[in-house]
Amino acid sequence: MLTANDLARYERQILYPDLGEKGQEKLKQSHVVVAGLGGLGCAASLYLTCAGVGHVTLIDCDRVELSNLNRQILHYEEDIGEKKPFSAAQKLAELNPSIEVSPVFRKITAQNARKIIKGANLVIDGMDNFKTRFIVNKACVAEGIPFIHGGVHGLFGEVTTILPGRTPCLACIFPEFPRGQLALPVFGVTPALIAILQVTEAIKLLAGFGTLLTGKMLYFSGDTMDFTLCKLTKNQNCSVCGTKKARK
Amino acid sequence: MRYKEGPKMSITVKLHPILQNLAGGQEVVEVTGHTTGECLKDLESRFPVIKQLIRDKRGQLRRYCEILVNSKSTYPDELTTPVKDGDQIDIMIFVAGG
Repeated sequence: MLTANDLARYERQILYPDLGEKGQEKLKQSHVVVAGLGGLGCAASLYLTCAGVGHVTLIDCDRVELSNLNRQILHYEEDIGEKKPFSAAQKLAELNPSIEVSPVFRKITAQNARKIIKGANLVIDGMDNFKTRFIVNKACVAEGIPFIHGGVHGLFGEVTTILPGRTPCLACIFPEFPRGQLALPVFGVTPALIAILQVTEAIKLLAGFGTLLTGKMLYFSGDTMDFTLCKLTKNQNCSVCGTKKARK
Repeated sequence: MRYKEGPKMSITVKLHPILQNLAGGQEVVEVTGHTTGECLKDLESRFPVIKQLIRDKRGQLRRYCEILVNSKSTYPDELTTPVKDGDQIDIMIFVAGG
């Protein structure tokens, strides 16, 4: 039930016809896990908090470093050395005390991933490596939890929304675990923009309106200011979500 | 994989945005070939720097790259999937930063 405080705080977005009080109530009842609190995760959790998602879990296993501060906007210089989930949770609690923020200082592994995300309405990809993304992708498929993938490189970023069993998952696109990776230059603005697109997807998915980025990858190039789409198809042989699973 | 030799066909390669800068800003490049591997070789012959990004020292496709034909994954035949006139190849690059 929305309180008078909620109605005042979220007034401007409740005015959006497809959201309304009903959609705002759905956001309030929702639990979102933000996996990783770097450039993507900080911006994503900030806007989830602003939007009134009722419960946000923040998970990361790193501590704040000076080199994070060009993009990880919930960590300040005074937080250097602090555990990232706690540094972020403190700011979010001040921004919106009416929601629940749960900081978890833990490394996501194949063994604990399903337990960490269990019961959540969706998971936001705020991670910075292939391995953990594929672990979380697999856990989301196993738990039937939507997963909103985001990734960045320099001024380039990508987003797709994965609905387990219905749309292509990360392993449908990259069947073998990617080894080696490009060196990772990152501007602050790129993960911020991609994270906001992820939260836009999250709000629509949780409140039940709009068209989602399912079955397609949205690319952003900050170099040319182009957005382009790449259509994706579910792989029936996918080792994670395929119905045949004939291959590794 | 065996395929019948014939006249070379026109295929389009839609470049991942990271690769577009390496191809003079082009998003789509027309190539010829009977397989994905031949089409990529044609692309790489014109833009050698693309090869450095998508292949390892042994000439294998790097693991962060994936090849789609008409939006479908070609795994595990990324370099040997037959293509026909009018097909579109997408080169996907998985970016890990966050």
